[in-house]
Amino acid sequence: MIEYSRDRHESIPSSAVKIVGLGGAGANMLERIALDSLEGAELLALNTDIRTLSACLAKEKVQLGINLTKGLGTGGDPELGQQAILEAEAEVRKALKGQRIVFLCTGLGGGTGSGAAPIVSRIAREEGAFVVVFATMPFFFEGRRRREQAETALNQLAVLSNALVTFDNNRMGELVLAKQGIHEAFAAADTMISESIKAVIRLVIRPGLINVGLDDLMSALRTTRSRCLFGSGISDGKDRASKALRNALASPLLDQGSLLKEAQTVLVHLSGGESLTLYEIELLMRSLQKHVPDHAHVLFGAAIDPAMGDKLSITLISALPEDALTGASKDSLSKLADTAKTVAKIKSEELESPFSVIDKKSEDIPEPDSVSEEALEEEPEATMEVPSLFDEAEPEKEAPPEKSVEEDEDDRPFAEFTSKPAPESKKETVSETPVEEAEIQEDEPSEEQEDEETTDSEDSEDSEDVKSKYSAPPGPGPKRRPPQKPLWGKDDKTKDSDAEDDEEDPFSVALDEPAEPKKSSSSPELKLGSKPPGSQSELSFDSAPRGRFEGENPNVVDGEDLDLPPFLRKKKS
Amino acid sequence: MSRRTKIHVGLEIGTSKTCIVVGEIKPDSAVKILGIGVTKSAGVRKGELADFPQARACLKDALAKAENVSDVEIGSVFLAVTGSHLQGVNNRSTFRIPDGQQNILPEHLEEACSIARDVPYPQDHVCLHTIIRKYLVDGLEQSASPIGLFAKTVEADFHIVHGIGNRIQNSIKLVRECPLEVDDIVFAPIATAQMALDREQRLRGALLIDIGGGTTDYALYLDGSIAASGCIPVGGDHVTNDIHLVTGLPFSKAEKLKILEGNASSEPSLSVGVAKLADENGFADVEVKRAILNEVIRQRLEETLKLVKARLPAGAVEAIGSGVFLTGGTSLMNGFSELAFDVFGRDIYRPEPPEASDTGHPSFKDPQFATAIGLIRYAQILETENTKPPGCIGKLLGLFWPFGR
Repeated sequence: MIEYSRDRHESIPSSAVKIVGLGGAGANMLERIALDSLEGAELLALNTDIRTLSACLAKEKVQLGINLTKGLGTGGDPELGQQAILEAEAEVRKALKGQRIVFLCTGLGGGTGSGAAPIVSRIAREEGAFVVVFATMPFFFEGRRRREQAETALNQLAVLSNALVTFDNNRMGELVLAKQGIHEAFAAADTMISESIKAVIRLVIRPGLINVGLDDLMSALRTTRSRCLFGSGISDGKDRASKALRNALASPLLDQGSLLKEAQTVLVHLSGGESLTLYEIELLMRSLQKHVPDHAHVLFGAAIDPAMGDKLSITLISALPEDALTGASKDSLSKLADTAKTVAKIKSEELESPFSVIDKKSEDIPEPDSVSEEALEEEPEATMEVPSLFDEAEPEKEAPPEKSVEEDEDDRPFAEFTSKPAPESKKETVSETPVEEAEIQEDEPSEEQEDEETTDSEDSEDSEDVKSKYSAPPGPGPKRRPPQKPLWGKDDKTKDSDAEDDEEDPFSVALDEPAEPKKSSSSPELKLGSKPPGSQSELSFDSAPRGRFEGENPNVVDGEDLDLPPFLRKKKS
Repeated sequence: MSRRTKIHVGLEIGTSKTCIVVGEIKPDSAVKILGIGVTKSAGVRKGELADFPQARACLKDALAKAENVSDVEIGSVFLAVTGSHLQGVNNRSTFRIPDGQQNILPEHLEEACSIARDVPYPQDHVCLHTIIRKYLVDGLEQSASPIGLFAKTVEADFHIVHGIGNRIQNSIKLVRECPLEVDDIVFAPIATAQMALDREQRLRGALLIDIGGGTTDYALYLDGSIAASGCIPVGGDHVTNDIHLVTGLPFSKAEKLKILEGNASSEPSLSVGVAKLADENGFADVEVKRAILNEVIRQRLEETLKLVKARLPAGAVEAIGSGVFLTGGTSLMNGFSELAFDVFGRDIYRPEPPEASDTGHPSFKDPQFATAIGLIRYAQILETENTKPPGCIGKLLGLFWPFGR
């Protein structure tokens, strides 16, 4: 039975929001969030290292790998991190039970972060939460190994999470002045992440005048393998509208607003006190127009929050497919068309992996106001296709997906598992998959079958025996979900795709777009290279022209060179 | 006080102009400005001497003009100095009256004052002003001299302005080479405050901000006495320079654009369209978006005002009763008072833009001369303080002397 929700805006109670800090970096972010005294959301700290864990301010704490690492860290080994989280899986699952939104904050590259983050994300998704991952990438000077570990984890997270926001530590220099201490740099990065989380929470929790909800959020973050673009600014006083926008665009995650130029869908959320005027909104939106392409779909929301007082906050959310970040911006619409073609191909040729494609479709379906009519037209095609495949294949479906799940569950050495989605081995896996799973057609339906289960959960009794073969977590997962659905404001398909994502991640990485992981591995470097080196405050100190004050002693007050125009200085920071 | 008219001369060597004001103090202590000699400064950067010979040439030129206009031969001047090295600090000392004594004796007070004046400042600094703010007798404020009162302790609260000795010495050397004598050196904002703020405003609390070409000087008065003073090495030149750097226009055009078209207020409606400068043929020669122009100006001035605000003691802005007084050339910028109000949230007083005078002589009301005219007032006050009350014979003489007083 579908419950009737009386909450007009389908807002989410703040008690259903949990912020998870994973590993040492995650603990730091959590600390910042705790210090900012975020109302409502609960904090959960996960770590292998008992020392940092005990020092953490979070209310709930789960120690990972009690028997494995015995309270020590993982020593930068993701494998250990993975085993550690699996050891504590039940506890983590309990802690994440019933959450609507889970923010996972972690630093990739180390052991606990890279090893456990995909698993935590998976658990959260299985528990029916909308998972937003905030991950920091290691510094270049931390070496290639760490970088690779981070990339591997990032690739997994890209598929396992609903939204992935990455912050490259190499860009930390942009947040603070060269002179400032390293602790300030880290604090600034943590503050930025905590601001982002707060902004998302504000967006989802507060019922708005012009409401944006999770559906809009999903729409803005449409692409499956995407990097989230995020900017949020808060300001008060006169001219606060343009100031807030400037702050939002200054976010390093937006690359000074230049990345927005590529965006297809942009979610803009304004929140202000009772003094928020229409004129301000107009002014702000007009100046925002300059930064987004004309044809972009702008999802606009506004909320009045008396607690904001005189302040005005603006949040910009969008997503780019990973390859767009590397410069080759692929039109998401054309991408959809591509996938449509491939669906057709698959139908005719009964190729290996329709499920990965279908999954993508179902990701698209929940977006209620997606721009593309194309997508809408294609929906029925895909959905019609699914059952037919499913019916044919029902008998021998279990084997392959089970495998991957079980790999997670029993503490088998994880090298195999991680190596699969790793960029280097990807080509091998492409060839591998057909060999390993000779009966791939049957394999897909198994995924579809799960869809079936969730859509009509009563029917799942007939396939109970099948389920029993499944490892515990995925089975109860879908069952638990149905009552929550109406509150989410999504149709069932989303859930299924959520669930699917978990299992198919090794495959989808392998099969999705063979060329992609390579690109993504090099994407952060390219990102860095694309922005002018001058914006590093260290360099600008000497190189920036000073006009008539050229050649004089730097006129430094409070860490700022007063001879440089504030107009230029503020833009940079 | 003085019985005869006295002539004082104020000299300010500013970043944008050197100006000499000749003032006559009448027996009824009214001040009459006899003349002003102004010339564009060269060789001065951010209020400090950068090119000695050039600055000397400018000074001589100004001196000649001033002597010419006022018909006075100038022998000595009061010199206003500024620069970011000058800073004002407050210091308070406590002196315990020795046992067995009940009254505050002059030597006790002297001791208290000397302790208060003894502020730790860097080796190369010298003390420019020591201004008594107030005395406290057993913790109670006492604005007049507490000598003779019964007390256990006496405290003296001083405001001390100190700066780098060599730089001040160089300013004096420049003037002496002219040759002129230096009667006294005064920190510029303190001199300006003598003219811009009256007694009542100082009592209610007032902040004076003098934004000149190269520096922004400020002086804060609370409860009638100075509470803070200082200098920030940013001024109108920086605004011009910012426009130059952002738009790429030459300095002369940037300066013109700043004065004619710039607006510092954040009013969005003023940032619409394009600001144009016509050349001599009437064609638009320079075009800059007002949004950018105004934003550059506003950010610079807002930052400057915020720097001033940040340097004031805690809670001082709230204690300002009468308002913020703006002076100096840059304060003539359009929309500046709105900006200042945004920053300080107090009443803003700004000098009227000077009327164009047909005589060709600069108007005294021009805020550009506030400091130099303030020097005359300072000289007058100094004179009053230094005049000893007449002794017995003086008093007798005063009875018969038909003039004066």
